[in-house]
Amino acid sequence: MMDWFRTRGWALCMLALVGLFCLGPVLWQAVTSIKLDEDLVRLPPIIPDRATTVHYERVLFQSSLGQSLVNSVVVAASATAVAIVVGGLCAFTLARLPIGGKPVMLGLVLATSMFPPIAVISPLYLLMRGLGLRDTLIAVGLTHAVYALPLAIWLMTSFFRQLPGELYYAARVDGCTPLRALLMVFLPLARPGLAVAALLVFIFSWNEFMFALTLTASDATRTAPVAVALFPGLYEIPWGDIAAASLVVTLPVAGLAALFQRHIVAGLTAGSVKG
Amino acid sequence: MIVRAALIICAALGFGCTPTDDRPHDPNIVLVFKHGKLSGDEQVLSGLLREFERRHPGVIVREELLPSSSDQQHQYYAMNLDGGQAPFDLLGVDTVWVQEFAKAGWIIPMNAILPPAEQEQFFPGPIQAATFEGQLYAVPWYIDAGVLYYRRDLLERYGVAPPKTWPDLVRAAQRVLDGERDAGLAGFVWQGKQYEGLICVALEVLRSNGSDLWGGDRARAEAGLQFLRETIVRHRITPLSVGMADEESTRQVFGSGRALFMRNWPYAWALLQREGSPVQGKVGLAPLPSFPGYPSAPVLGGWMLASPKSSAHPQEAAELIRFLTSPDAQRLVALQMGYNPTRRALYSDASLVKARPLLTDLYPIFLEARPRPITPYYLLLSQAMQPEVSAVVVGSKTPREALEAASRQAARIIGSRDSPVAVEGL
Amino acid sequence: MIGQPSVKPRSKTGGIRLSERTWGYLLASPAFVLVGLVAVAPIAAALWLSLHRRLPVFGVDEFVGLWNYAQLWNDERFWAACRTTVYFTVLSVATELLLGFGLALLLDGLTNGTGKSTRWAQVMIIVPWAVPTVVSAQIWAWLYQPDYGLLNYLLHRVGLITQPIDWLADPDWAIHAAVVMDVWKTTPFAALLLLAGLKTVPRDLYAAARVDGAGAWQQFRHITLPLLMPVVVIVLVFRTMDSIRVFDAVYVLTGGGPGNSTETLSIYAYKTLFQTLQFGYGSTLATAMFLIVAAFSSLYLLLLRRHLQEAA
Repeated sequence: MMDWFRTRGWALCMLALVGLFCLGPVLWQAVTSIKLDEDLVRLPPIIPDRATTVHYERVLFQSSLGQSLVNSVVVAASATAVAIVVGGLCAFTLARLPIGGKPVMLGLVLATSMFPPIAVISPLYLLMRGLGLRDTLIAVGLTHAVYALPLAIWLMTSFFRQLPGELYYAARVDGCTPLRALLMVFLPLARPGLAVAALLVFIFSWNEFMFALTLTASDATRTAPVAVALFPGLYEIPWGDIAAASLVVTLPVAGLAALFQRHIVAGLTAGSVKG
Repeated sequence: MIVRAALIICAALGFGCTPTDDRPHDPNIVLVFKHGKLSGDEQVLSGLLREFERRHPGVIVREELLPSSSDQQHQYYAMNLDGGQAPFDLLGVDTVWVQEFAKAGWIIPMNAILPPAEQEQFFPGPIQAATFEGQLYAVPWYIDAGVLYYRRDLLERYGVAPPKTWPDLVRAAQRVLDGERDAGLAGFVWQGKQYEGLICVALEVLRSNGSDLWGGDRARAEAGLQFLRETIVRHRITPLSVGMADEESTRQVFGSGRALFMRNWPYAWALLQREGSPVQGKVGLAPLPSFPGYPSAPVLGGWMLASPKSSAHPQEAAELIRFLTSPDAQRLVALQMGYNPTRRALYSDASLVKARPLLTDLYPIFLEARPRPITPYYLLLSQAMQPEVSAVVVGSKTPREALEAASRQAARIIGSRDSPVAVEGL
Repeated sequence: MIGQPSVKPRSKTGGIRLSERTWGYLLASPAFVLVGLVAVAPIAAALWLSLHRRLPVFGVDEFVGLWNYAQLWNDERFWAACRTTVYFTVLSVATELLLGFGLALLLDGLTNGTGKSTRWAQVMIIVPWAVPTVVSAQIWAWLYQPDYGLLNYLLHRVGLITQPIDWLADPDWAIHAAVVMDVWKTTPFAALLLLAGLKTVPRDLYAAARVDGAGAWQQFRHITLPLLMPVVVIVLVFRTMDSIRVFDAVYVLTGGGPGNSTETLSIYAYKTLFQTLQFGYGSTLATAMFLIVAAFSSLYLLLLRRHLQEAA
């Protein structure tokens, strides 16, 4: 099978097609974001002969997108931190410690993420309001952390299972508590797996829309996807601005993913395949 | 252990930066005004609110925005108002929600700030739509109604006058299309996507044929729906893509010179006439056509202001509503944001009319504009009707099948046990 | 799992000696507390609501037990939404899997050593997945515009079509347009997982097969595919779960139309809950969705267990 791909030219051609498929729509957004308002619906030409930065100016300086990006970073980072810490402890337990009812626990955790968010959103909103957390970043971050927990736990459990048990027993015989063993022994080895889980949770939280929309109310707490949803006025949809905003919101995450991609493959390789 | 503690502290600090109510115990009264994002310069509304604060020392008004999507706003309001303690004192309500909110007991009557004598100063349509069991529950803020846009230059070229009847419109479109021989030119574009806007269009056609979507002469209703479908398949003046068109896509098509007639709301006028628009100076606006023997039947749109029952400051909220719908405020908003006022007197206001001459043309249309069915069941009925009309538009169902399916559903909704309200006009 | 020797630790710090079991419950508890508070409580509320007839506008609030579920049986719109959702899921997941496999094979073949091209390829593939769903739906809505959308323009230029296709207005095309958008967005997930799986297949297996005279296809069928089955099932589980519950993407793209041809279960549930304000019945619809997702997941996990045992 690998002989096929020896003809590099052919392979690169395929890669170009793949690139077109994956990046094409995003590139089109980029082109749209520099078009003048009048040219927005003019096709041809695909690449406009005159460009403008007015959409980016409007988006970055005249709207609340800047603040919302900061909020998104705070929420996603916090949600990731909580999900990894809490989920990691739970995953370690499920992988190594002799507690009862593991399949039930795993199943329960998975089940909570199976329930459609739309039915949950109203009671959740009322819950947050009851706790006095309406319109706070805590509410959004907490919700994201909890809904990302099943995925994080699943990934990290299967990853911890891969790590050699002898190290753990050695540490325990030396007198470490299980927690210490986790921190001293497992964590350094587990970095790829944690990186994968962290990236997945971060992307999930960054892009999450429904909970973020419902649980926030003001400019100060809004996250990026919600800010993009606020661009259209009544009837009017400023396509150019939305295109610019979309790119601004996507690039940080794509960048982060690029930075982590080495860890992702390493982590996924070690963690998921052998089950 | 330390690492874990540190991580948790960092997370907590991260959560800690929650800049919400940074006002400590404020002796002032804070009114929260919840509304959807408006088009145009937002500073105008902020300016008005600051003016209100100036006139009422001790009161602060805080705006909280929702996405402009009507659906998302409705979802938000339903969740909050049902929960009891709604965290706002004023809300912007769509014309079609007032009956529902009033029936649910979620909003309070406004007769105190707008007694019946004063209601005469407003357009009759919105007042009707906002009156539930004899009481007014919301004050009309701005008004909208369906209108016909046409390409004046193209019609002049072929010596055709703006059509007054639907058959005339079809003839005019066919004449111009034959003459122009431009494959990219559409005759008539309207909103055919499966959403509330489609119901508006359908009502405008059916009511101008002496019938209605719910009740009325069934044969004429079918003919009306058939007309919509025929613009696509028989007269070929409308592209099939209207099946996915909403206000903005039709505005874009017309605004880039690719349509002869368009049904839309008045908001598009300013966008069509601005600098750089390919159709600047070539656009005309007219009342919607009707079928011979019947008057034009534009559908009423627009938004109103209401106050929830759970508000802690009903007096101040009522004052704010009164202020925002006062003649001066409405004039300002009309001048600088392009929203159409709900007070009739403003349409003869010299300075306003001079700055926005279109208002003279819009006045009779707004006067005629009829609300959608005035019943708390409206959203239920509309949700059942939208897929049916959409199916007719794209040809999956015949008008008869669609209307029958819709009326079956309506009977099920209204006739179900414990439905305590009788629906007039159904 | 290897049998664990029971370890009786001598605590260095001389603190309380807890058993492993106790440690286990202790460490796992924060997760369950959080999940219990933030996730389980609202779900329980929704389940409770599904047993009521609740129309706040009309002041109707009564316990009806399973009556709502009985209503489901006769609800033609529910069954239509089920059909649409299942059709969408099957098409979407199958395509993602196939495309994902293709991408993974391509990347695997390209990345024998050259670091840079691997990195770029992997970044490229991640991009659709990194785009927020609502943004991606708007991008595709823009692409699908019949009059000024890029897709029709390109197809026309290439000569494949003479008339613009109404991707979203034609009831036959609309659901497929939604599938294409979903596949674009989520193929990276499948591709990355499968790529990772491919990298763990020992190369010498292929070499041995070649010596035996096996062609490319046979190598794939007898070596690659069986070894990759666990990953395939995992992709199936996650993607099926998400596809059945798809909401934002389709709602922004089509709103459920035209003629309800793209109305998925979650769109129907959303409209029932927040447009017509039937809180009880809407919760019932959501619970029905949950049961369907759970059924599919259980099915897949049964398969997974079998393959896990085989692999071990």
